[in-house]
Amino acid sequence: MSILMTIRVAFKALGRNKMRTALTMLGMIIGVAAVIAMIALGRGATDSIETQIKAAGTNLIYVSAGNFMQGGVRMGSGASARLTVDDANALREIQGVQYLSINVNTRAQIISGNQNWQSRIQGVEPDLPNIRVWPVDKGQFFSAQDVATASKVAVFGATVAEQLFGEGVDPVGQIVRIKNQPFKVVGVMGRKGQSSGGFEDQDDSVMVPYTTAQKKLMGQQHINQVMISAASAGEVASVAGRITEVMRVRHQIFSGDSDDFTVRTMEEMAAMRTETIKTMSALLAGIAAVSLLVGGIGIMNIMLVSVTERTREIGLRMAIGARSRDVLLQFLVEAVVLSLFGGMIGIAIGFGISQGITMFLTWPTQMSSDAVLLAFGFAAFTGIFFGFYPATKAAQLDPIDALRFE
Amino acid sequence: MAVISVRNLKKTYVLGDIQVHALRGVNVEVGAGEFVTVTGPSGSGKSTFMHIVGCLDKPTSGQYVLDGQDVSKMSGDDLARVRNLRIGFVFQGFNLLSRTSALDNVELPLLYNRNGLKLKERHIRAREALDMVGLLERAHHHPNQLSGGQQQRVAIARALINRPSILLADEPTGNLDSRTSIEVMEVFQRLNVERGITVILITHEHDIAEYGTRMIAFRDGVIVSDTPILKRRTASEEIKHLPPVGVVTIMNGTETASATS
Repeated sequence: MSILMTIRVAFKALGRNKMRTALTMLGMIIGVAAVIAMIALGRGATDSIETQIKAAGTNLIYVSAGNFMQGGVRMGSGASARLTVDDANALREIQGVQYLSINVNTRAQIISGNQNWQSRIQGVEPDLPNIRVWPVDKGQFFSAQDVATASKVAVFGATVAEQLFGEGVDPVGQIVRIKNQPFKVVGVMGRKGQSSGGFEDQDDSVMVPYTTAQKKLMGQQHINQVMISAASAGEVASVAGRITEVMRVRHQIFSGDSDDFTVRTMEEMAAMRTETIKTMSALLAGIAAVSLLVGGIGIMNIMLVSVTERTREIGLRMAIGARSRDVLLQFLVEAVVLSLFGGMIGIAIGFGISQGITMFLTWPTQMSSDAVLLAFGFAAFTGIFFGFYPATKAAQLDPIDALRFE
Repeated sequence: MAVISVRNLKKTYVLGDIQVHALRGVNVEVGAGEFVTVTGPSGSGKSTFMHIVGCLDKPTSGQYVLDGQDVSKMSGDDLARVRNLRIGFVFQGFNLLSRTSALDNVELPLLYNRNGLKLKERHIRAREALDMVGLLERAHHHPNQLSGGQQQRVAIARALINRPSILLADEPTGNLDSRTSIEVMEVFQRLNVERGITVILITHEHDIAEYGTRMIAFRDGVIVSDTPILKRRTASEEIKHLPPVGVVTIMNGTETASATS
């Protein structure tokens, strides 16, 4: 019997018991759909992180004060007082450093007329928009002159501007009060959205000269962080190395002792997050694969029942000229048709689920052709693997016994 | 010319420690166009004989020549091919595929025919075969929409589709009432007389055996009698003399009534 004919026969046989066929396929459908949806979810998460990292600039380097690894009293990162403006100025001289901005952070209430809003206050330098690849939308960023004179000027994030002045209102030139001191709004940043971590609204912040933040708002001498942009992405690692060297010399750390500061590149952070997500999606895909396995066992179960139930049919087919291998092929093809059809429907449903996740939970998902191929291949393999035993059983039946079977 | 030639055929089954001698040396020749009926009590070896003649089983020893070809030493695949092309089987239990039209059931052996007939040709041949058994108008009925007699005729059409040398029937009337039995025997006789198809038919009903041209009786694994039937019954004649279906029911009713009173 030709393979085409065998497939037709398989379809006819499966069509004779539609309910059972549908239920058997359901196991396969759920398994494949779960695998597809989980892979799409994992890919989507990894992808969105990569895009965000790229948007933020891959040549970003953060230098923070304090280090978790220090013995004795452990301070949180950035809480140590040992990062100074002088440190930052020394880093400015390092070869390969293109832009640099000191960063000091606090939170404060911002008052404008009868409105008020609490937000993050970032004391920074004029190069920040270049480092974060974050253009100014209205007005302009404050100048180096403002930093030198510690003038009371502020640049609003889009969310802050909206909260205090309402949507569409240009706040440039307005005076607001931060910690009871008047600040002039000189600019509003463009919208940047959620941070790559996904939990923080980057537009909910106010930027002021770091000198102003230190002297007028916080009364502190040290700085929390230095943000650096390397001249090119390829130089990031070497620049980070040089920064570490300079910092160790300045802080008089003996070789063998651990750093009292942290140098992190964007790539490292991205790699860490991607790794976490990969582990998570591998775990989820593993669970989904188990359901695929269960689906396969369901197929085997039904095929075994089917072989017993159709013993007389098998006997008859042999009596009228079917060879053992014809019978083997028939049952194998039935199992494969079951699993492949289930697989195809599962792929469609998995696609639907991932679309649904994107639509209703706004989680990014991404379908990929290799995930589809993988699921399809796995479905076919499951069909052959779990169909083989029942098919062998059918093919080994003795026609005389099979015809007598009641 | 002999279609079937069997020489000193023996078959021994081993069941645990016991050896069962199902056939103890059978010699027989069946010529083309014969209608042989095989009788015998259960355990006489007639079914084993049938299975070997039908190439479903191999003899332990002895020779079986079908159409001039020794099939007793053939491999499983070759035997399958012989069954497909040269032998048509008819069983007691019809063995039709359920939820499958009569036409598709009849076509089934063509699927295993390696000549690779096209769909259209298969349909034409299946229709021809159904026409031979007088069921062309039921081609698209499923088995559960057909009476027992009609189902058996579909099974006969299926046996005929590959134009076999012999038609092997294993108690084809065992599940049928006497009226339908005669109708089915009429089909066998017509195929035998009009088309010259060789028929070998197993039965344990003596009157059914009389529709053949020759009767072989088995007992304890050997042939105990092999006689030509001199007064052959003719099914087509008998049908004419049968009362119409409705009358039979009433007669049966009165009979039952008189028996109980």
